[in-house]
Amino acid sequence: MKRSMRLVSLLFALALVAAACSSGGGTTTTAAGGGEATTTTAGGGTATTAPPSGEFTGISVEASCDDPTNASNFKKIEAVDRLTVRMELCKPDVAFASKVAFSAFGIHPQAYLEATGGGGDLLDNPIGTGPYMLKQWDKGNQLVLERNENYWGEKAKTKTLVFRWSSEAAQRFVELQAGTADGIDNVGRDDFAVAEQSPDVTLYPREGTNIFYIGLNRDKPPFDNEKVRQAIAVGIDRQRIVDNFYPPGSVVADQFMPSSIFGYTPEPKWYDYDPQKAKDLLTEAGFPNGFEVTLNYRDVVRSYLPSPSTVAQDIQAQLADLGITVNIEVMESGAFLDASDAGELTMYLLGWGADYPDATNFLDFHFGRGASAQFGAGFPDLWDVLDEAATTADPATRLELYSKATELIKQHVPMVPVAHGGSGVAYRSDVDGGHASPLGNEYFAVMDPGGRDTFVWMQNAEPISLYCADESDGESLRACEQINESLLSYAVGGTDVQPGLAESWEANDDGTVWTFKLRDGVLFHDGTPLTANDVVASYDAQWDLSNPLHVGRDGNFVYWGALFGFKNAEG
Amino acid sequence: MSDPTVPPQPPDEGMPPTNVTDPMPAMAEAFAFEREDEIERAVGEGFAASGGDVSGHATGGLWRTAGRELLRKKSAVVGLVMLTVLVFLAVFAPVIAPYDPNEVLFSEGVAPRDAPCIHLLGCPDDQPQHILGIDGNGRDYFSRLVYGARVSLLAAFVAVTFAMVWGTIVGLIAGFFGGAADNVLMRLMDVLLSFPSLLLAIAIVSVLGPGLINAILAISVVTIPQYARIVRSSVLSIREQEFVAADRALGVGTWRLLWHRIFPNALTPLVVIATLGIATAVLEIASLSFLGLGVQPPTPEWGSMLAAERNQVFTAPHLVFFAGLMIMWNVLSFNLLGDGLRDALDPRLGR
Repeated sequence: MKRSMRLVSLLFALALVAAACSSGGGTTTTAAGGGEATTTTAGGGTATTAPPSGEFTGISVEASCDDPTNASNFKKIEAVDRLTVRMELCKPDVAFASKVAFSAFGIHPQAYLEATGGGGDLLDNPIGTGPYMLKQWDKGNQLVLERNENYWGEKAKTKTLVFRWSSEAAQRFVELQAGTADGIDNVGRDDFAVAEQSPDVTLYPREGTNIFYIGLNRDKPPFDNEKVRQAIAVGIDRQRIVDNFYPPGSVVADQFMPSSIFGYTPEPKWYDYDPQKAKDLLTEAGFPNGFEVTLNYRDVVRSYLPSPSTVAQDIQAQLADLGITVNIEVMESGAFLDASDAGELTMYLLGWGADYPDATNFLDFHFGRGASAQFGAGFPDLWDVLDEAATTADPATRLELYSKATELIKQHVPMVPVAHGGSGVAYRSDVDGGHASPLGNEYFAVMDPGGRDTFVWMQNAEPISLYCADESDGESLRACEQINESLLSYAVGGTDVQPGLAESWEANDDGTVWTFKLRDGVLFHDGTPLTANDVVASYDAQWDLSNPLHVGRDGNFVYWGALFGFKNAEG
Repeated sequence: MSDPTVPPQPPDEGMPPTNVTDPMPAMAEAFAFEREDEIERAVGEGFAASGGDVSGHATGGLWRTAGRELLRKKSAVVGLVMLTVLVFLAVFAPVIAPYDPNEVLFSEGVAPRDAPCIHLLGCPDDQPQHILGIDGNGRDYFSRLVYGARVSLLAAFVAVTFAMVWGTIVGLIAGFFGGAADNVLMRLMDVLLSFPSLLLAIAIVSVLGPGLINAILAISVVTIPQYARIVRSSVLSIREQEFVAADRALGVGTWRLLWHRIFPNALTPLVVIATLGIATAVLEIASLSFLGLGVQPPTPEWGSMLAAERNQVFTAPHLVFFAGLMIMWNVLSFNLLGDGLRDALDPRLGR
């Protein structure tokens, strides 16, 4: 009995060894096959195909400026040679360089765009050129990035970068104090004082390059009456809101644009608080006893609105003094944004943070001809002024036009500007290179958490996806910025436009032709080199509604739509 | 059995069928039994039937006995006192609260989340007194806490009453008629019970839209099965009693039988469950409000007050602590009272 058992076990062991050997041989062959596969497709565009190796054949996409289906300012995007991209515009765009640097226009490998079909894996496993590459996205828990050892510039200081999130300011701050996070976003208002005094924590105030406003929809009664909107404008004590509910560094907004953005003009200022005048205006408008209205907001903390529910309740209390009954209705963030864009909300709390430092990012996006229905039908006299300003090159003339636009906004009151919210980013005191970016895009490659090999960053919310062409949420954009890069970039911790993947750029005299010279030797995370074709493919996937790669997450590509416009649009 | 406080007593043979001489006619009407001798046999057959067996005792009705029993239990007395304090706060809120709960006091020179200022404890006299400080919106926290008692108690009472009424109707019909009616109704109740109650309440409120009324409705609907089950199980045992059979034989109508014979006997366990149910309802109203689905601002409610200040646990802990304490106070008072009531009304737990 015993011998036979031994024999059986011996046979079993032999079988195991044999199996292990054969499977080992198997993996080597598949690995070789995989390596071969990646070296093929390099060119292969939608328009022309490149030969497998040797000569570079640039791809080019274009549209006619007179074509009614081309709702965009782009005329042509062309890969002139392997490292040169030329973009032709229909009308001059003075903010073009600022826009191109924005992270929604990151460059993806053309082959990967085609392999993923413009969606799917592209959202969860992006391949970029940035200082960090994706290691693992454990959804709902954390996002782990790893240093890109082949980075073209200065390599990231820390090997591993971890993104975590919590919507509770108290939790973020506790984790920072406990050392389980190295940096956190949006320190709670009441934690500012604690953070300033704590030796373990360093606070970096972030300037308020944003706006918090109370949106009033001109299509919804009673706000279809301009006098009622003006009454709200006069009847809200904005100073009280900023004094009591905003962290240090916040200022009362005297117009829609913050003062650090080009296009801000000191005059005209917003109305002074005058409750009596508000009541008079309401009486004139036919509401001597006020009215009832629903105020919507999303209970999501943003730099421009650090404590949404208290602010909502204060506005409720302030309007109650004017005889207006306000019913507060909290909505889920996504549903709220959709409803406001569709013009379904009467009165709501929303804000805007700068993406790039130009007036077009603020005014055109909200009040321009192509803006959403968030304030109702819009104001044609305002459209004309903004259109003129966006195509004027001379800064002084532009400022004059923007001053005029601000005057019109003050008269029409599509919204009440309340505050430019200061916020704070805090790091462990031993973090070297910590900073707060006015655009909300902190750059972690330059940070060194006291020699530790992992940097943990805690923000408000999880990224929605990592294909930021189709995202507009700052929490997603910040993660994308570590992985994908745009042609140009903003200075770390600032707003100045500087070279990115393009080492230089130039525009012709009237600002309609822009030429970008790419860096040589830039490698994507999968090892393929960056070429001009990748740029054209990345742009065209966003620009062209009929491009099979125009897929994304929900397919809205809101930033491209708002900043440039689409081609092959219906009607 | 000579101890008059022990609930199970031999029936008084001389009692008239309906005790019209009772000083509390309504109560007596509910607890009068035509054939006390038969009811005696019901004693011990279950908690459900316990209501009937003492009604005719010479020293007073079931409720008087139970009341006496209740007052002997220290925990129940504590519960009763705690509840009295709450009710006092709720009823006299306008007198007790120094400020209007929704009045924003920024013009008085306060800042959000100012620390408590009590003149007796050395707060300078030139500062306005706020004994529990200021909330995040510049309102007097103490006043809001006091007014919160109104919302909390009222909402819980309404929710439980609503659930009790519907649960009783369902339970009576299911238990008394049996058969298909029983099957359909109780399976429906099983479906309701198969959801986690708070999640179901959240789902209902999400559909109806947030608000106090909808929250009350949701909590009621969710708790109906509890009452239905209790009533049904009582009815099942009562309807087999001989006095019911006798009534039937005498030609007493179905509804009269249900309402005057069976329902009164099923009432005791219902009262106990309802008292404990109020505690649960208080918690659920607070939970829904905490999630923003219940009471809407600016109405003061403890759950939403807790939610509003939850991020200030470390910087202004009193704002979180007292709202939580009030919820605990409320729940504890009903739990203690409910436990006491159960013991007092349960003949088997007599000392």
